[in-house]
Amino acid sequence: MTIFYFVAFLSIFFALMTIFTKNPVHSVLYLVITFFTFTVHYILLNAQFLAVVNFIVYMGAIMVLFLFVLMLLNLNKDTEPMKSNLVKFMGAIAGMCLLATFLGAFKVIETDNGMVQAHENIGLVKNLGKVLFSDFLLPFEISSILLLTAMVGAVLLAKKEPRVKHG
Amino acid sequence: MSAIITLSLLGILILYLGLYKAKNALLPVSILGLVAALGLEIYAWNQTAEPLYKGMVLFDHFALSFSIVCISLTILILFLSKEYFKAISDNIAEYYTLILFSLTGALMVCSYHNFAMLFIGLEIMSVALYILVGIRRKDKASNEASLKYFLMGAFSTGFLLFGIALLYGSTGSFDLAAIKQYILDNPTSVSPMFYAGILLLLVGLCFKVGVAPFHFWTPDVYDGAPILITSFMSTVVKIASFAGFLRLFSTVLVPLNEFWTPVLMTVVIITLFVGNISALMQTSFKRMMAYSSISQAGYMLFAILSIGPNSASGILTYSMAYGLASVIAFGALILVKRHVGSDQFESFNGLGKTNPGLAFAVTVGMLSLAGIPLTAGFIGKFMMFSNVMNDYHTVLLVLAAINAAIGVYYYLRVVVHMYFMKPSEEPVVSLPINFKVVFIVAVILTIILGVYPNAVIALI
Repeated sequence: MTIFYFVAFLSIFFALMTIFTKNPVHSVLYLVITFFTFTVHYILLNAQFLAVVNFIVYMGAIMVLFLFVLMLLNLNKDTEPMKSNLVKFMGAIAGMCLLATFLGAFKVIETDNGMVQAHENIGLVKNLGKVLFSDFLLPFEISSILLLTAMVGAVLLAKKEPRVKHG
Repeated sequence: MSAIITLSLLGILILYLGLYKAKNALLPVSILGLVAALGLEIYAWNQTAEPLYKGMVLFDHFALSFSIVCISLTILILFLSKEYFKAISDNIAEYYTLILFSLTGALMVCSYHNFAMLFIGLEIMSVALYILVGIRRKDKASNEASLKYFLMGAFSTGFLLFGIALLYGSTGSFDLAAIKQYILDNPTSVSPMFYAGILLLLVGLCFKVGVAPFHFWTPDVYDGAPILITSFMSTVVKIASFAGFLRLFSTVLVPLNEFWTPVLMTVVIITLFVGNISALMQTSFKRMMAYSSISQAGYMLFAILSIGPNSASGILTYSMAYGLASVIAFGALILVKRHVGSDQFESFNGLGKTNPGLAFAVTVGMLSLAGIPLTAGFIGKFMMFSNVMNDYHTVLLVLAAINAAIGVYYYLRVVVHMYFMKPSEEPVVSLPINFKVVFIVAVILTIILGVYPNAVIALI
């Protein structure tokens, strides 16, 4: 339990740092650390697959993408535009409303979930693989079409079009 | 299932044909493949319907009839594509492939029996469309439409996924039958998470079918996309999304209808007014059709609002009427725009004199969209209204009647422009043979449905 509190503190701390830091590159790096603490949370919850995916996809791929975009847009100076006070005020109110809603919702929903406790190894890679290749075989296979579509589309949109003169 | 497999393989085959430069074979092979898929769907009609592949898909009459409508509309739209794609770029094979994949996704959305399939189907359908909307790469409007559609679509998928996750969290299953059993087992103690899940699912699906207040992407995307893609989007994709919507609500969520009926009712009323009044203001035919598609979606929601035994056949009839009329309207717009160069109402001026055949087809389409008797649109609207009437939603009925009257005004504006305005000096709009065939088929089907609707109503 102490590990949980420590990691939870770290994730909140780094999430706040992500918002408060002025430099966009630092902000992204703090976000990477925040995602890393999430990975630790997933491991604590015995959800190995989620942890691995979070580590590879979010921390690895998406964050590198963020950094690339920042580099290409040359945003690595303190170029954050100042928001007006009205926007900040509205943002604060909206955020607090969301927080209040969440707190109310968590109070209503019973936190102990019998489903998860009955299958405490549900998040292991082995169990996921078993389900994926038996019950969910059809969606698993069909997602290949989704990937193929995305691939065709990416090539289609990125390919250089030669200007052919007809006749 | 065999139709879905056929279409997936057909898409890959078309890609290979494009690779080997068989440009002329693309369209015939696509149409042949689609006809084969259509045949397979019809062949599956008399087989016993049970959930296949561990309850992933269910090909009952509901799924099959919507699949057949989607495939047939795609065939009609592909007929129009003969010269269309060549003008955009040389990558025609990819365009056909993407349309076919999108149709595959649509068939999955029609026939899902598990949320995993719904999600993957919606994604395949949408991802192919994000790309198709942006295929005019030099055109700013097309790029804007593509980006907007992508961002909005990604958001709506997020809502949908969150909703599915909450339903899973409270029931422990993605399977429609299992979730239904959960509601039947705990009629009084349904978890609060489940209700939140319903709302999020509703938001996600409303985004996908484009009803207010989640319609903001629709006008810009429909306007910016190439006309042929718009016609695919506003017919096949919309119909499939409605089939998915109805399947979820009619099989699973009926017992909880006291919870979601007020929400859906508000959505319907806002949609009708926003769609119709905005359509009234438009000067561009294409944009008018975009707003009209919003208001038509509002009418289609009537069937979900008052779910009963007639809902499925109501939506089927309505979507056939709407799909056929839209194909006519967008097909005519392609021709007119090619000759006049603009999609304003004025470009239709004098079409009744210069090209009476085309003008007649457009008139039938517009009358059908407006819901005038003897056309399919009338039967569709009639079924929707009588559905709602059975549930005594009188206020809604009155509002819907007002909106139908507004609709008549802007649909008939095109007819007025065609028959009572002086033709401009532009060259006469000619009618290629493929367009002629599509118009004749669509007009005949529209009138047959309008005169003898039982052929379709009895199907489901």
